[in-house]
Amino acid sequence: MGRYSDDPAWADIIPLPTDEGGPNPLAAIAYDDEYAEAMSYLRAVMAANEFSPRILDLTEDLIDMNPAHYTVWLYRAQCLFALKSDLHAELAWLNATALEHQKNYQIWHHRMLVVDVLDSCEGEREFVSRMFELDAKNYHVWSYRQWLVRRFGLWEQGELEFTRDLIEKDVRNNSAWNHRWYVVNGREEREEGEAGGVVGDAAVREREMEFAMQAIEKAPQNQSSWGYLRGIVRKAGLPLQGCKAFVQRFASLEQPDEVRSSYALDFMAEILAEEKGSEQQAALALDMLAQKYDPVRRNYWEYRKGLLGVDAVAA
Amino acid sequence: MSPLVRKDDDPRNTLEELLQQSRIEELTSEHDGYEDVEPAHSSTAHDFNGHPFPGNHLQPARTQAKPPLPPWLQAATLGLFHEDLTTTTTQAQAKVTKECLPHLTGQDTSGFELNSHGLPHLRRTQHAAFLHAQFEPLPAPYVAIDASRPWFFYWVLSGLSALGEDINPYREPLIATVRPLQNPTGGFGGGHGQLSHCACSYATILALTIADALHVVDRRATWHWLGTLKQPDGGFRMAIGAEEDIRGAYCAMTMLTLLNLPLELPPDSLARTAGLTRFTDKLGEWISHCQTYEGGIAGAPTNEAHGAIPRYLDVPALLAWLAARQTQPEGGFQGRQEKLVDACYSHWVGGCWALITAALQQPPRNSAALWNRAALVRYLLTCCQQPGKKKGGMRDKPSTRPDAYHTLYSLAGLSHAQNVFTYNARAPTTGEGRSLAAFNWAARGPSKEEMRELGVDEEDLVNFVHPVFVIPMAAVERARQEFEDGTL
Repeated sequence: MGRYSDDPAWADIIPLPTDEGGPNPLAAIAYDDEYAEAMSYLRAVMAANEFSPRILDLTEDLIDMNPAHYTVWLYRAQCLFALKSDLHAELAWLNATALEHQKNYQIWHHRMLVVDVLDSCEGEREFVSRMFELDAKNYHVWSYRQWLVRRFGLWEQGELEFTRDLIEKDVRNNSAWNHRWYVVNGREEREEGEAGGVVGDAAVREREMEFAMQAIEKAPQNQSSWGYLRGIVRKAGLPLQGCKAFVQRFASLEQPDEVRSSYALDFMAEILAEEKGSEQQAALALDMLAQKYDPVRRNYWEYRKGLLGVDAVAA
Repeated sequence: MSPLVRKDDDPRNTLEELLQQSRIEELTSEHDGYEDVEPAHSSTAHDFNGHPFPGNHLQPARTQAKPPLPPWLQAATLGLFHEDLTTTTTQAQAKVTKECLPHLTGQDTSGFELNSHGLPHLRRTQHAAFLHAQFEPLPAPYVAIDASRPWFFYWVLSGLSALGEDINPYREPLIATVRPLQNPTGGFGGGHGQLSHCACSYATILALTIADALHVVDRRATWHWLGTLKQPDGGFRMAIGAEEDIRGAYCAMTMLTLLNLPLELPPDSLARTAGLTRFTDKLGEWISHCQTYEGGIAGAPTNEAHGAIPRYLDVPALLAWLAARQTQPEGGFQGRQEKLVDACYSHWVGGCWALITAALQQPPRNSAALWNRAALVRYLLTCCQQPGKKKGGMRDKPSTRPDAYHTLYSLAGLSHAQNVFTYNARAPTTGEGRSLAAFNWAARGPSKEEMRELGVDEEDLVNFVHPVFVIPMAAVERARQEFEDGTL
């Protein structure tokens, strides 16, 4: 009396019922009959190490009932490759499943395995973009997109524009900023010796700094754009002073009541800490953060002040 | 789950949340009428201190004067940087600030009993009842946790321990329950017949450690299995054939340490083909590749920095990144830049302070001097406790439902905030080919003065939760002694 026990195609299988370890298991799930039956067949075929088309049906059925079932995903992947199954059909099914279960971990690893064997990323970026319309900060989808760029060498095929568009939509989408960093610097970071990115290529560096600065103009109180700008300067090994005039427009010690961004003030404190003889001023900037502009982090700002080696500030 | 909770909590609504580490953190992006948070009434900071109208403060005190609000909740601070551009991110943030502020400022105390500092007491009885109830039979929709059930064993037992509950009655049932989950080739799966997985094994082994039942674990098989997960590039997979990420490295090293397994790779480990001989080979490099330009550490090299685990690192940058994760004005932690506060990061980020203090070249007096412990305590006590006389459990934020995951990591967050943990840098970090560093932690409780600063009374204190293993300190010491001689 069940989908599998009634099916002649499964008649050769003796299902393995679940072992709950005893009469009073902790947090035992009252499985419904369908799931319990499918699992008992899964245990049996896995124990026999079977790879056959019916395994694809069984695993699809189980994933429908429980998409977080990593065992089923891993077994399905093995089976797909062993049978040389139609991977395009697999992708079509995955698309529907991914849209239905957006926060699923396993599905993106599975997709990666399939697309790697297919050796083609046709349609992939389009699908991923659809996912970002639902949630533009989905961590798994961003990891997958990075993999696509790396695996298929998409560094200069529209990725930069893609991040520009997403950042245009939401200038605080830190995931998009992180992807932009990867697209600009990733190849050099992975393939040592390549000179490019914000370190090796001055034109790229200027373009990216300009991009960050424009984003800051749009929304000064934004950690993502300030972090990106500072990241470039630090990675390129440039003195922070180069940014001083720009930062001053958002956080000037001469106008202590007109600070437009706590991130700018933090940046200013770092610039001043690097300058010889400006320690007192750096301490003043950190005091402004601790007292007025970012009091929730007072202890951290005080710690940073302690590192300056100055005692008290004539504020 | 418990009959108590089941009545009004449709598990289907919370299943996704219960399970997956990255749950839906964003609220809907539509602008639904919430303006950016306005400074409460006027531009003077003092008006917000429970005296919204001029002259109100002259009325006779009702019961007890409300304690003044901390600086980060003063109107002047709340009113900063408002003219900034509105985006999806700021809308989601404004919504969360709006739902949290009444609780944070004490305007809405959810009917909770208040402590001597005007903050809600920790509702120990209700939280304990909520956790106990998680072990009762679960209805069919809980099939969604069928591959991650061991987490419940761990969250519940560790949470109950933090609350000082006796967990001994669960020892035998736990042993029986996990027996079919262990595979003869090493490791534990999520259920009977499931493949061994790092997260399931980590959770099961921590639960068994708490229950003093580690004899159940086949240590030799576990060592072999972990050897199959170690990759030639230095990282670890979560399961054979599964993804490689920082969780794998963290879970694997935790198990190797607690079980006192050899750091020498088993002879059949694939990583040996790349010339690696120890579990720790190239691990530091691998983790260093996970540190991003933001200073935080991503789930895998080049991914976005995400709040979880931390010497191959730019420590000042990591410190800056961690400090920036405490959210204004909620006082809890977010997991990533420009994301929302969530109680679970009270541990994933809040637990890093003791660890990074041990790594700083110029460490402060103690880790408490790096972050805002009082703000986290306030967030957890005012915003994250489920209201309702008989209801318990802790939650991500006021608009969400409580679950075991958030309950444990909130309680762990309280432990990180209330206590001071110190690392003995003179103690050995390895011995006879084993990893010992994580055993070198000591804890002390808060002084009267610290309790006043944190806004907690005696009854709001939780037991020490180990900053690395996130289980009772005593259980960690017991495991160390149990396998001290190191035989497999």
